[in-house]
Amino acid sequence: MMLELLSVPAIILILGAFVLPLLPERIRSTAFITFPLLALAMVWTMPEGNLLQVSFASYELELLSVDGLSRIFGIIFALITVIGGVYAFHIKDLGQQSSALAYAGGALGVTFSGDFFTLFIFWEIMAAASSYLIWARENEESAKAGMRYLLVHIFGGGLLFTGILLHLSSGGSLYIESIEPAYSAANIFMLLGVALNTAVPPLHAWLADAYPKATITGAVFMCALTTKSAVYVMIRLFPGWEILIWVGVIMAIYGTIYALLANDIRIILAYSIISQIGYMVTAIGIGSELALNGATAHAFNHIIYKSLLFMAAGAVIYATGTSKLSELGGFAKKMPLIIGLYMVGALSISGMPFLNGFVSKTMISGALGDAHLEWPILLLLIATIGTFLHTGLKLPYFTWFTEKKTEFEVSSIPTNMKVAMGIGAFFCILFGVAPQLLYIQLPYATDFQPFSIYNFVEMTQILVLAFAGFWFLKKHLNVSSTISLDTDWFYRRPAVAVRYVFVDLPNNLFGVAEDITLKLAGKLSGLSKNPMRHLLPSFVMEGREVKSDGFTASMSAALAFILFGFLVAILFVLF
Amino acid sequence: MKNWHWIVLGILLIASLILEFTYLSDYASHWWNHIPAFYALWGGLGCAALIFISKGLGKFFILSDEDYYDA
Repeated sequence: MMLELLSVPAIILILGAFVLPLLPERIRSTAFITFPLLALAMVWTMPEGNLLQVSFASYELELLSVDGLSRIFGIIFALITVIGGVYAFHIKDLGQQSSALAYAGGALGVTFSGDFFTLFIFWEIMAAASSYLIWARENEESAKAGMRYLLVHIFGGGLLFTGILLHLSSGGSLYIESIEPAYSAANIFMLLGVALNTAVPPLHAWLADAYPKATITGAVFMCALTTKSAVYVMIRLFPGWEILIWVGVIMAIYGTIYALLANDIRIILAYSIISQIGYMVTAIGIGSELALNGATAHAFNHIIYKSLLFMAAGAVIYATGTSKLSELGGFAKKMPLIIGLYMVGALSISGMPFLNGFVSKTMISGALGDAHLEWPILLLLIATIGTFLHTGLKLPYFTWFTEKKTEFEVSSIPTNMKVAMGIGAFFCILFGVAPQLLYIQLPYATDFQPFSIYNFVEMTQILVLAFAGFWFLKKHLNVSSTISLDTDWFYRRPAVAVRYVFVDLPNNLFGVAEDITLKLAGKLSGLSKNPMRHLLPSFVMEGREVKSDGFTASMSAALAFILFGFLVAILFVLF
Repeated sequence: MKNWHWIVLGILLIASLILEFTYLSDYASHWWNHIPAFYALWGGLGCAALIFISKGLGKFFILSDEDYYDA
């Protein structure tokens, strides 16, 4: 049984998290990469089907359900953990290394789980392990953000679990299969639980709150795993739920507007994740084979270019110590390689032809066209323009190219970070020029052809004019030291009042209750010290005070014996 | 921005327009394909709209001081 568990890629990574502390420090970084490489090989070679059943209570759990959809997600999760491991090769923090492995294990576990219980357990492992990647930054801001992140995810997990229990109690199957679009309580709870991890507004604020406060290397894992594993679950459970079409469009625009406003480079990238996931959610809402292929391909590509962008942003923070556009600028000549690699990712996400974003975005717009959803196409194009504006132009321009705004040192960046970015950029280009390599892995067979004259004309005109618009209007973009208020306002702003009602007030109430109880206990224990004093109170006889506790020991014993005799007699009479 | 940057962008735009009016002249899968240079218009207008709408929303309620939650 135990040996069979080792055939589960997720277990390999979680086992790795426990093995790492036992290894000497100098080989830990190598070992860190070995585990996801092993998992990658396993994911690649596993046959399709339900490969491992485990009995739990009266249920048969499916720990390893492999099909085309779970395999491609498994491949990218394992691959990005390898790349993240290279990026974090210089890190000596065992806590971060172990939690990153457990976190990736959670994502792989979700991907290959065939039943809701297994899914839920790995879902929670992800939430718990990823929280540490925020806390590991070890400042007050990230300590608070990490706690908010964890609480929100516990809430999300609760929504999902409520949905699962309702689903099971109403006769639903324990095994994961697509759910018919019906708004029953069970379905709504499950959808909300998944939507929270997919960062659907208004349940999205945890993402832009937490990711920018994670460690430089931790953010790379986070941007790749949580939201995309939720996208995977959404493809599994809710394909063809029409509400998702418009939910996705709103996400895409919403994320774009907030990204345009942000001042912190990792907040820009975080909101851009929300915008990109909007494309995938829209595609899931359409539910056709082409659309689900598009959502899958876009999630795959997104993980590659977004982690590349987060790696470049991490390099900027590593080198300068700041992440704010209002403080950066004027050091383009000091990191040309990083800028080049960043721009590969930025142009990929903007949908530039021959880079990987193009080959999946065109697939989604093709699916929208087939379904005659014209306005979603046009609105997603607006989001594409916005993506090019904030990630492709605003961020690099104000980070590197404008005049220097504050004084800072630019320190050199470890080679392993550059190598990891190079690998990311390589895959961006590889899948951009040879999309068939990606398409053959997609869950449905497809003969989709992204390189059409129509698509070239479309993207060229969009990008050229968006660039011109940026150049002439860039002074209207916000780069002042501000933050953006989002729906986390609703739990952060009233935090003082909430703290009073739920922490201080109960605390004080318990304090008072404790006082009263202790005093009462003191009185009672005083009573039991010498019960004779109460049973035979002191009295005055013939002008002389007779104290009940003033008798000699033998007299007391005799009195107590008589009293005891009376008690026995009373008990005997009564019963 | 140096001059040759603009020249490259101009050439790209013109090439895309030529392709649009030759190869795609009878292409009409969407209603907007009848409008000449529609994607260029949409790109330019969309860019301006995004910048000004986000700026307006930022001023209206989104942007706030960095110590907003600490105060």
